[in-house]
Amino acid sequence: MRLLIVEDDAPLASGLSRILEAEGHAVDVTERGEDAVLAASQEHFDLVILDIGLPRIDGFEVLRRLRAAEKPIPVLVLTARDALEDRVRGLDLGADDYMVKPFAMPELTARVRALLRRSQAHGGPRIVHGPLALDTVARRAFLRGEPLELAAREWAVLEVLLAKVEKIVSKEAIIQAVAGWGEDLSPNAIEVYVSRLRSKLEPAGIRIRTVRGFGYMLEEFKPAAH
Amino acid sequence: MPARSLRAHLLRMLLPPIAALLALGAIVAYYPSSEPTTEAYDQALFDIGIALGAHIRVAPTEYRFELPAAVDQVLRTDRHDLIFYRVLSPSGLHIAGDPSVPAPAGDAHAYDGVLEGRKVRVVSVETPCGRSACTVLVAETTNKRVRAAREFLLTSMLPGLLIALATLVIVWFGVKRGLWPLARLSEELKARSPRDLRPIDAAAAPEETRALVSALNGLLEELAQAARNQQRFLANAAHQLRTPLAGLQAHTELALAQPIPESCRVHLEQVHQATIRTARLANQLLALARAEPGGRGNASDVNLRSVVEGEADAWVHQALARDVDLGFELDTAPVKGDALLLREALANLVHNAIQYSARGGRVTVRTGQRGGESFAEVEDDGPGIAPQERERVLERFYRVPGTPGTGSGLGLAIVREIAGGHGARIELAEGAGARGCRVALTFPHG
Repeated sequence: MRLLIVEDDAPLASGLSRILEAEGHAVDVTERGEDAVLAASQEHFDLVILDIGLPRIDGFEVLRRLRAAEKPIPVLVLTARDALEDRVRGLDLGADDYMVKPFAMPELTARVRALLRRSQAHGGPRIVHGPLALDTVARRAFLRGEPLELAAREWAVLEVLLAKVEKIVSKEAIIQAVAGWGEDLSPNAIEVYVSRLRSKLEPAGIRIRTVRGFGYMLEEFKPAAH
Repeated sequence: MPARSLRAHLLRMLLPPIAALLALGAIVAYYPSSEPTTEAYDQALFDIGIALGAHIRVAPTEYRFELPAAVDQVLRTDRHDLIFYRVLSPSGLHIAGDPSVPAPAGDAHAYDGVLEGRKVRVVSVETPCGRSACTVLVAETTNKRVRAAREFLLTSMLPGLLIALATLVIVWFGVKRGLWPLARLSEELKARSPRDLRPIDAAAAPEETRALVSALNGLLEELAQAARNQQRFLANAAHQLRTPLAGLQAHTELALAQPIPESCRVHLEQVHQATIRTARLANQLLALARAEPGGRGNASDVNLRSVVEGEADAWVHQALARDVDLGFELDTAPVKGDALLLREALANLVHNAIQYSARGGRVTVRTGQRGGESFAEVEDDGPGIAPQERERVLERFYRVPGTPGTGSGLGLAIVREIAGGHGARIELAEGAGARGCRVALTFPHG
């Protein structure tokens, strides 16, 4: 994947690019917002990592211009300012995710992976998660290449969880996504679907973690050490 | 310097002039009114003199004075004073009576004198004897007169004294009544949160306190300005600190990912840990400064449940990293406050609970309402905090002796600061089953 880092702090920018290159990405670095907007308009990038505290035009303005260009590039915002945190959080700016400096590199790489996966899955007919593959057009699932039988509700729950790998999803959010109009779905019913999904997926190493009193989280797939 | 009482000060200022006025009043009232009394008493003496004069006989060669004892007694009897007399011939020779009665100095008809060491009042009466006039001097001790003067002085001063007393009483209570607007102003200031730097409503203040209110408002505005400057400084400091720390952390982690000699790796691990600790400490110090009076952001309607839901993902990942089971029991908990600070407070509680829980431990975050008050609490099943340590752990940089890990001891101080700013109570107790620790923040109504 091709990534663009917009960061004016040279040591941080070089550190980030090395780490992301080690993950197998092609990384370009610029320290000026104007250059970032120009580069994004001329070339294709799969993800922009954008610092808010830039000289001249700041990250917010860069974000606004990127969005104005109607290019659906995922943007991960980096911020060092608490006061701005809430503005970033309020998704009115259109950032796909944000991180407050300083941060642990494994967390950054995990977020980058999640964003790239989401943007690839977005509109794409095929969702892949480790040994699991979903064909969203034919509505068929495969586990280790074998067809996997899923009831309609199980499919719907799995789709919600797959859209947010490594992110916790509340039961309410699952109910909203799964229940049709006028349907009344109880949290207990969701538990039943999740437990059926677990019995089908766990043998292949795909884990759905329960977050007590909140919901569930589909863990990132880690191939079993051999 | 002892507290200066405005009342005492006013009384001290008022007393001397009041006393002086009283004295002056007494003098002014006394002298004009004492004259008629003196004249009346003098008149009585003149009468005696005239009566005595009738008893002078003119013989061819001499003057004789013949006073029957009974008349003498009648004339000279007085309840309070001794009366003396002396009769002089036209040429001034002594005829009869008490020779020690002082003769007139000039031609005064009534005068003061001394008789046998006593003060006396003397009148001289011209009385016809033969072809010329004899003189009768009548002297009287002054007992009556002194007493009359004393009584007169008293009665003339009494109303003045009463007025003075009334003035003092009115001043004493009037000052209290008059200072009421100030008392109300101080009540209003006392009731204020130390973070509330809004100006005092000058329009609602009484006329007399306007100047004070506007001076206070000027001070408040300066404080608010200082607070805004501090916030700007903090935002910049945060940025300046965090970016290099992020770079340091990135490069340390990159270096650790390289194949490096084990001897180097140990040191690099230390650098990495120190970087993480420094980053957290920087965050906490900034949070603490932000939570301090004057650093408060905008109060708005915040639901603690939403605050927790917004952070749940980050906290769950923290917990998973330490193999802690983080769970939630969330109900709606509306409060008025600063969402950013409330999030910081809860994040610190959760961070502590996760840090001090054993692997496989259990941490539960709750929000909801109890007795109409919103609350948020975090409970763990870790080692807990001994009752005698519960007050001290809220202090800055205090860590319970023997606590493992590398905490700064700032977490709970931040929580206390933020809770205080929101008028919330902070309670430390044991967790369920007398194990672990439960920290609850309870927010007052409104």
